[in-house]
Amino acid sequence: MTERIYLLPLWIRLWHWTNAVLIVTLCVTGFSLHFASPNSHMIDFSLAVRIHNTAGVALICLYALFVVANAVSGNWWQYVPKSPGVLQRCWLQIRYYCLGVFKGEREPFPVTKQSNFNALQSLIYWTVTYLLLPISVATGLIYLNPQFAPAEVFGMDGLLPVALLHYLAATLILLYLLAHAYLATMGATVTSMIRTMITGWHEYDEHE
Amino acid sequence: MDTFVACASRWVAFLWLALGGTLAHAEGSGPTPEALEKARIANLKCLECHAEDALMNPPLGIVNLEKLSEVVLDPGIYKASVHGRLACTRCHTDGYTDYPHAANAKESTSNCSDCHSKKTRKIEPEFDLSVHAKHLKSTFTCLNCHDPHVMRVAAGLVDPAKIVDQDNRVCLGCHDSNERFAKYAPAKKTRPAIDEIHAWLPNTRLHWKHVRCVECHTPLSKEARLSHEILNKSKAEKNCVNCHNADSTLKARLYRHLASEEKHKYGFLNSAFLGTSYVVGATRNQVLDDIVIALVALTLVGSLVHGLLRIIAAWLRRSKQHD
Repeated sequence: MTERIYLLPLWIRLWHWTNAVLIVTLCVTGFSLHFASPNSHMIDFSLAVRIHNTAGVALICLYALFVVANAVSGNWWQYVPKSPGVLQRCWLQIRYYCLGVFKGEREPFPVTKQSNFNALQSLIYWTVTYLLLPISVATGLIYLNPQFAPAEVFGMDGLLPVALLHYLAATLILLYLLAHAYLATMGATVTSMIRTMITGWHEYDEHE
Repeated sequence: MDTFVACASRWVAFLWLALGGTLAHAEGSGPTPEALEKARIANLKCLECHAEDALMNPPLGIVNLEKLSEVVLDPGIYKASVHGRLACTRCHTDGYTDYPHAANAKESTSNCSDCHSKKTRKIEPEFDLSVHAKHLKSTFTCLNCHDPHVMRVAAGLVDPAKIVDQDNRVCLGCHDSNERFAKYAPAKKTRPAIDEIHAWLPNTRLHWKHVRCVECHTPLSKEARLSHEILNKSKAEKNCVNCHNADSTLKARLYRHLASEEKHKYGFLNSAFLGTSYVVGATRNQVLDDIVIALVALTLVGSLVHGLLRIIAAWLRRSKQHD
């Protein structure tokens, strides 16, 4: 028997998909800019700059809105890994992904109305949302206004450390995005978690 | 004819040296320290009037200070310029020795081609194709851009920031000033708003601080020397990737004097640029890029393999249940 709970309000779903579209756009255009070459079939450089800048500004606005909405709604609490036993629960989750899932074991920490995320998700989502995104947003802002970059660092252009941080943060976000998209197929069915993210309703087997 | 000109030039050079003049550009021979000192002392006499200090305390009873202000220079800048070691009289020949100068003294001032004939022969056909020749052929000379009392050769400046500062000041001097533009432009031509016509270029003013206008406004060629064919906005280079890629054209142009310093410092491509500019797409770290590409590939392959194993494991479980 399948049960369902209303898990994700509209604003979270809207934020999630807008965020996803913007980050994919930024990754594709950022890749085109960083690996620009006259012989490549990537997006034209000047077009990529315009799209990247526009999507970047949109992401900054969206991020600011998200931080406020997250604080006001109390949703921020979902991002906090709850002690005790955070590492133990993370380990159990990793073991499930590496082993349990192949044996047909059940998800060790099923989703509840009170706790959307398992410990591993909380830890990773917190890192991405409150560490990597702010770094890429802040460095992106300096990139947009390079006059605010230090003039020189260790005898090199001051934009270099800003660019490196931006690149590293963006790379980690891209890696997270790829893994996140794949892990989204690990619900009760391949598409059930994606449906939840669209409708807000989480479906689960009552025996879970 | 060319042989005759070359032979005559050598004789002129010989006579000049024999007479104790300075010929800083004589091929294969630099001026002696004595000749340099002689030129410096001779120039002091000229600079008594032709330096800004003279405007405060005009010598020789000069009263027309406005006229004098048009012909003064900064001795420090002149000394550092490419012609700074030459005696003033090397170019300002007849009629300048005494004051008041001869009425027709200006007519005897040397042309650039008198010394730079070989260069001029190469440059002229390029200049004839340029936007300046198209609109101002009869009035535009080398001196419109190359102030002989100020300009320094890029090979001597080496530092790209200094090269950019000097060269862009020349272009922007007219193209960012209504007054200067009107002085040289055809009668009905109004100066296009420089920021507006470059609005397509991100961080426009920052670009002008770090690269020369001529990086885009001259044709790309394999020759290290920049062409004197200045391109108008419709012909100018707009393909950003020419500079923004691993094999950036800036290597052979603005940064060519730093080519020997290109040692891929800390694993960066075009690390010689990094002293002055981080150039997206050009100043990449190859090791970091390899690690990033490997991590992305590993995540994609890992997800694919994990997914396949899930399918196989589920199929095996279902087969077992059926058994």
